[in-house]
Amino acid sequence: MALTSNLNLLDRSLRGVIGICVTAFALFNGDLIGDVFIEVLLGIFGLLNLISLASGWCPVYHLAGINTRKH
Amino acid sequence: MQQIAKIKQDKTVKPRLIWACLCVALLVSAIYVTVSYRLTADITVRSELKAMAHITSLFSNELSQVNDASEVDTLLNEVLLSAVNTPAFITVTTAQQQWQKNLLLTPTERSSLLQLIPGTEDNADPIELNGKTYLWQRHQTGHYVITFVQQTPALDITLSFVAKRLLVTSIIVFWIAVWLALTLASLIAKRAEQVNESLAYIATHDSLTGLPNRLYLIELLENSLGPATEDTDTPVDEGCLLIIDLDRFKEVNDSFGYAAGDTLLKEVARRVSELINAPAELIRTGGDEFFIWAPGYTIEKAKTLSLEIVNSCNSPILINGLTVNSGASIGISHYPSQAENTAGLIVCADTAMHKAKAMRSGWQVYDDKKIADYKDILQLRAELSDALEQQQIILYYQPKVDLASGEVIGAEALCRWQHPRLGLLGPAEFIDLIEHSGKVQEFGRYIIATAAVQASQWHTEGLLVPIAINLSPYNLLDPGLAAFIGETLKRHRLPPQFIEMELTENETCINIDYIQSALAQLRELGVSLAIDDFGTGMSSLAYLSELRVNVLKIDRTFICDLTTNKGHRAIIAAAITLSQSFGCDMVAEGVETQEQARMLYDMGCRAAQGFLFARPMPAQEFHALLKQQKPQFSVT
Repeated sequence: MALTSNLNLLDRSLRGVIGICVTAFALFNGDLIGDVFIEVLLGIFGLLNLISLASGWCPVYHLAGINTRKH
Repeated sequence: MQQIAKIKQDKTVKPRLIWACLCVALLVSAIYVTVSYRLTADITVRSELKAMAHITSLFSNELSQVNDASEVDTLLNEVLLSAVNTPAFITVTTAQQQWQKNLLLTPTERSSLLQLIPGTEDNADPIELNGKTYLWQRHQTGHYVITFVQQTPALDITLSFVAKRLLVTSIIVFWIAVWLALTLASLIAKRAEQVNESLAYIATHDSLTGLPNRLYLIELLENSLGPATEDTDTPVDEGCLLIIDLDRFKEVNDSFGYAAGDTLLKEVARRVSELINAPAELIRTGGDEFFIWAPGYTIEKAKTLSLEIVNSCNSPILINGLTVNSGASIGISHYPSQAENTAGLIVCADTAMHKAKAMRSGWQVYDDKKIADYKDILQLRAELSDALEQQQIILYYQPKVDLASGEVIGAEALCRWQHPRLGLLGPAEFIDLIEHSGKVQEFGRYIIATAAVQASQWHTEGLLVPIAINLSPYNLLDPGLAAFIGETLKRHRLPPQFIEMELTENETCINIDYIQSALAQLRELGVSLAIDDFGTGMSSLAYLSELRVNVLKIDRTFICDLTTNKGHRAIIAAAITLSQSFGCDMVAEGVETQEQARMLYDMGCRAAQGFLFARPMPAQEFHALLKQQKPQFSVT
């Protein structure tokens, strides 16, 4: 599927902030979580948001036919 | 058609679905968190209980080996201090004695706890006291009953242990649930929209050719015409509506079958579609009738398009190995000069199309200026019923004159509409409306009744003038016509020979068998019958002998150039001979000059009517004319 951007600026930057925070938390939380599995889950969550930040494209939006860029 | 638009515009499905799914996501997360917390807590409590049961059974084992009562106390101390590090107490009772050991608990707490422990063996439920949770075990060995109660920090530990993980995982679960909800909602909404669209498409399109249908046309026109409002989103300044009717569709259907007819329709639809460009649209409304709505087209442009379509339809189409050309008749109406609303536009185009068909001219622009000036034919049509009720339709009379004596020998009744707004209208302007209004039989009876009243009035005054009435072919299809005429004559005590029915040659041949029986009934009444416009119709001479009419009225086209046209003279002579052989009378219509009258007389024609003698006139004037001394006209 074509990676055409479907996020507007606000959506994209919000995802960026969330992505950076979550990834950082997953990597550098020390013993706060204490569970590798959950850290990996958080890492994936953050990473997906970072992908959205980088490409301006959200796979879920794509599947659902939502486009916040036009509006 | 409005409902279809509304289905299309219903955008609330998606947000509602999203909200519903978000709520479901929230609920799922809440359930997930609650269940996992309770699960963890339950497992912890169970393992604590197991440990306590272990201690109790160990202790009871030791007790069974003890013989001295004082040793029990020491044993209690050992067990309690070694195994437990939270507030707890153990009681050992026999029938005679009781030992107790207490750790970090007040006596009041201890006694309340002892009261709270039920007498049953079921020890799974923790006891709540002063906000703290206690677990207990009761065990019986020999004559010893051991009760072990311990405060448990298990739930607090569980909470702190799972809280962090649960928080993080529940956020992730919620996040996944939200995305799932969004995706599902959008997919469902999308599917619903697709279904709606396809339903709207099916409702507004023809399945055979894939072209839009009548519903679509009406909605399109309603949206395009008139001033811009909320409903009309694409108003146009001008435009043309074309109605295309295939000339030989029925023949193709009849001779090659319906499959061939369908092929023909598809091919025509394809050809015409190629000729028109957006925003003009081709619409099939059923049968072999197509519409083109061409916004922005002038009449000239529409004419060019029509010519192309007619040429295209005239070029042969291959069906079952045979070439067929469908031919087409096109009617054009122009917005806003000819009609300003949908219905008017369609009526105008339809009228023009029928004219084109009748004239075999390919295409016709709606051009009846006078009616166009009325802006709304429909209004006129609506006013028709009023016209009949309020007797606005009146009769004018044109005298028939005996060419030998110059006397008035009859009258032809011609209808006029005394319209309150538009003045006096001739039959050409409203007869067509009547014939398409479903009121034609009512109208025919009205005319007959009016003429009968007039004839009987003159009859009682001694003015013996028969009145001829023009009948529409549709009137002859009225099964009660003969009975009605008979009754009318009886009511007015009018001898039947004072009413004459004029039929045009065209109508006498629409359904010769039926017409013949209708005419036979009229003849039985004694009403005389005339063939109007003789010589211009399409009927064969064979009908003439079968119809057995009393009068032949030769058409004005032969009379007007009688003096110069040899051919017409020959036809008139033949008609006169014919009438003499059939034993019927002959009337010449449209006589305008003295010369024509004399010539007709010389050829053997005995009666005539026309402007030479008089134009059609109101009843009073005609009455005055009859009252004049005879002969009213000098012929020679």
